[in-house]
Amino acid sequence: MKFASGLCVALFCSIAVAPNVVSVVQATEPSTLTIYAAGTLAVPFRQLNALFEKNNANVTAQAQFGGSVMMAKRITDLHQDADLLAVADYSVIPKYMFASPAHAAWYAGFARNAITFVYTDKSKYAGEINAQNWYKILARPGVEIGRSNPDTDPSGYQTVQMLSLAEKFYQMPSLEQSILANAPLTNMRDTETSLISALQLGQIDYLAIYRSDALQHHLKSIDLPAKINLSDPTEAAFYKDGVAHTKNGDLFGAPIVYAITMVEGTKNAGLAEKYVALLLGPEGQAIMKNNGFGAFSPSYAVHIEAMPAELKKLVKPWPGS
Amino acid sequence: MTDVTASRVAPIKGRWQARAAPSRPGTLYLLCWFCGSLLLAFLVIPLIALATHQSAQNLGEVAGIADVRDAIALSLEGAFLSAALAALAGVPLAYVLARTRFPGKGVTAALIDLPLAVPHTVAGIALLMVFGRQGVFGEPLQALVGLKFWGTLAGIVVAMLFVSAPYTVNAARIGFEAVDPRLEQIARTLGLGPWRTFLRITLPLAWHSIMTGVTLTYARSISEFGAVVILVYYPMTAPVKIYELFLRFGLEQAAAAALLLLIVSLGLFVLLRALAQRGVPASGSR
Amino acid sequence: MSIAVAVEALSLTLGAVRLNKLDFRLGRGEILVILGPNGAGKSVTLETIAGFHRPDSGRVFLGGRDVTALPPEQRRVGFVVQNFGLFPHLTVAQNVAIARRAGRAAAGHDAGLPPHGDPEALLSYFGIAHLAHRAPAGLSAGEKQRVALARALASAPDLFLFDEPFSALDAETRDQLREELKSFLRALAIPAIFVTHDHDDALALADTVVVLRDGAIVQSGSAAEIFGKPANSFVARFVGVENILPGQVVAASDGLFTLAVGERTLRAASSANVGSPRHSILLAVRAENVTLLSSRVAAESPGAVNQLQGHVTGSRTIGPLVMVQIDCGFALKAYVLAPQWQAMKLGQEGTVLAEIAPDAIHLMSE
Repeated sequence: MKFASGLCVALFCSIAVAPNVVSVVQATEPSTLTIYAAGTLAVPFRQLNALFEKNNANVTAQAQFGGSVMMAKRITDLHQDADLLAVADYSVIPKYMFASPAHAAWYAGFARNAITFVYTDKSKYAGEINAQNWYKILARPGVEIGRSNPDTDPSGYQTVQMLSLAEKFYQMPSLEQSILANAPLTNMRDTETSLISALQLGQIDYLAIYRSDALQHHLKSIDLPAKINLSDPTEAAFYKDGVAHTKNGDLFGAPIVYAITMVEGTKNAGLAEKYVALLLGPEGQAIMKNNGFGAFSPSYAVHIEAMPAELKKLVKPWPGS
Repeated sequence: MTDVTASRVAPIKGRWQARAAPSRPGTLYLLCWFCGSLLLAFLVIPLIALATHQSAQNLGEVAGIADVRDAIALSLEGAFLSAALAALAGVPLAYVLARTRFPGKGVTAALIDLPLAVPHTVAGIALLMVFGRQGVFGEPLQALVGLKFWGTLAGIVVAMLFVSAPYTVNAARIGFEAVDPRLEQIARTLGLGPWRTFLRITLPLAWHSIMTGVTLTYARSISEFGAVVILVYYPMTAPVKIYELFLRFGLEQAAAAALLLLIVSLGLFVLLRALAQRGVPASGSR
Repeated sequence: MSIAVAVEALSLTLGAVRLNKLDFRLGRGEILVILGPNGAGKSVTLETIAGFHRPDSGRVFLGGRDVTALPPEQRRVGFVVQNFGLFPHLTVAQNVAIARRAGRAAAGHDAGLPPHGDPEALLSYFGIAHLAHRAPAGLSAGEKQRVALARALASAPDLFLFDEPFSALDAETRDQLREELKSFLRALAIPAIFVTHDHDDALALADTVVVLRDGAIVQSGSAAEIFGKPANSFVARFVGVENILPGQVVAASDGLFTLAVGERTLRAASSANVGSPRHSILLAVRAENVTLLSSRVAAESPGAVNQLQGHVTGSRTIGPLVMVQIDCGFALKAYVLAPQWQAMKLGQEGTVLAEIAPDAIHLMSE
């Protein structure tokens, strides 16, 4: 009995110690690249990380996912170490990271997305809804719509912007109000992905979310017109007319562009550069496309002069900046 | 039923003196104090850091935000209901576990501990499955009584109760097990029926343990985030509000709100402990 | 004496403990002591009478009523346990007052006894009125016993049950409490069943003793009978008979027996109806009934019956007595008062004469 428990203790200790021993035994200079990314990038970035690790020996690419604003604040407020930040709304980077003390100096767009509504077979009027009548069905009484908090999450305010654009597009002044009536505060969460289980369990019928999420979670979605779904950078002028009134002020519509930047003062600058290059290159873009994101080739960037030389070659100046 | 009164009433000074005499027990005592202080420091210093991070002005500002006050009040209300339900249903369960033997008792006891091991988000989803719009309880309850759990106080209470009820049951069970069954037998022979025996003898003697469990349930309920947020985001409980403040403003605001919550909670725990003590008899039996 | 308590053919299986057709009666004011080794079922018997276990068969009568189907709170039983079982969260007065059966005449309620519904009067009767607001934890054992009695009495019991209340006390306190208890019970004239494994309790308190073994009664009678005339070797060993000698019946007539023990012959006068000639038999002789004589004295009275010559193989001092071990063809133990032992000046290996009175030999068939 004593021998057995002694053996167990020894086993437990060796299991606890082993990983450290193993990593010490590994060959020259292993490094870890830390990436903070928006929740909706979870699936494509994991694939990207695997590819990156394959191309670069002894490198671990570790990603953490969460709300874009939350991840930015972890760097700016909580001073956590990250090498790269990738957000769902490019404007998050200048808003939070450029402010003094600057945590970033530039950003580059690497993918597009579109706002859509996802639903299941259990959803009300699932058999009826299509790209033409969606705004009428979503306004019907008894329909429960979920969305994320416009005060804290990009997809939240982007949804509201899309609805205000839809008012102009369909020329129905009460459209936004009537649909939002079915998406009260109780149906709101701080990121839209929290509501996917609610959708699958039938608590809500429709969920305002990104098209990439629809594909990744194999959910049915509605193809909203490109003029309102914030997917097309060339429609930026029209998008500006869409407005969301939030606790952070009035936010005006802009194309949904995912952007990435390197965090100032990162110790892994060389590796971070390689990561961005991979993302902006053909392989990275293919991964984004396969996961339902719109490709962004060539990439647009802001403050190109601040970018590393190798990356400058891959980007063009952001139109209008 | 040992004679504890004498030692409890003795002055602290006398206790120290009495124990310092033999040297071996003295070393043990010192070691315990040392280890205990380490743990105490580990628990208290982060809270002090949180407290001293703010200025009193910051704290005042945050206390002035109606949203924050409402969120704290909602948390307290939900936690109170959760603790009350845990007591009402959990204490009888604990009594059965303490007094009876039945097949599958071990499994039942393990099941009661299970919610503590379930990740909070998973717990929330499981509750949504059952109490949601199409849930096995949620659907009939909504149709028959109009009771909804999505985005309501009921949902908050359900999520809080799920993760914190085990504390009440376990503590109450220990309390009941410590009551000598012979005392209950004697009460019966004196003419007290099973109900009176429970209320006049068993419950008062187990009171302190029960209240400790209820306090833990209350505390755990206040702090619950992951399970609550699956069912209820609005209206916001304090943890949800603090998180939202962090997202919108930053560390300062969130920490100030957190500190406010802690101060209010501390006051309540002191009250609850006092309530627990009231039930302790003069003889010092626990 | 009218029958106040009756237990008829009580049988019960409770896990490892069995009760096997227990049967006894108690009159008003009588004290029954149940003696037995651990695991014999003594406590279970009490608990069944009190109503905490339902018997498989048999009946219990208290105060003339068949209470077999009644729950404990309707049975009118007073229960006193080890350490007296006072409710620690209540004061003495509250302990006594909590009993619920006011307004009903108690069995044994006579003039001079307190009305059972009056806690204050009860406290005064037992002389503990000054303790009314004390907590039980600080009381002495004697005070606790009085509180327990007062409390039990407050519920107007038809029967008292005592489950080894003195086990945790030192010898002197036991003696004192035993005497007090006896006088209280006599005065109250309420029947009582007292469970113990202590012989002194039985000797001091019992009107009747019942010896329990593995859930069955192996002997019942007065304390004198149990201790002096045990029914079999189990009881004999249990009550501490020091000499249990195997022998053969040589002749038996009119209550006089001639017995062969080893190579010796002994004469016994016993009313026991045991054994005919050539049958095996057991002799039970208490050590205090073995008298030791020096050879000189023996020589002065030849022909005395049951004189056995032997030599001392050992001696042990037990308080004021000396237990002397003798080999006289078989092992024999005798008690001698210490001063006498000194006077006999017999060392180890000394020759000694042991004498046993014929009526001090008790015969058992098994």
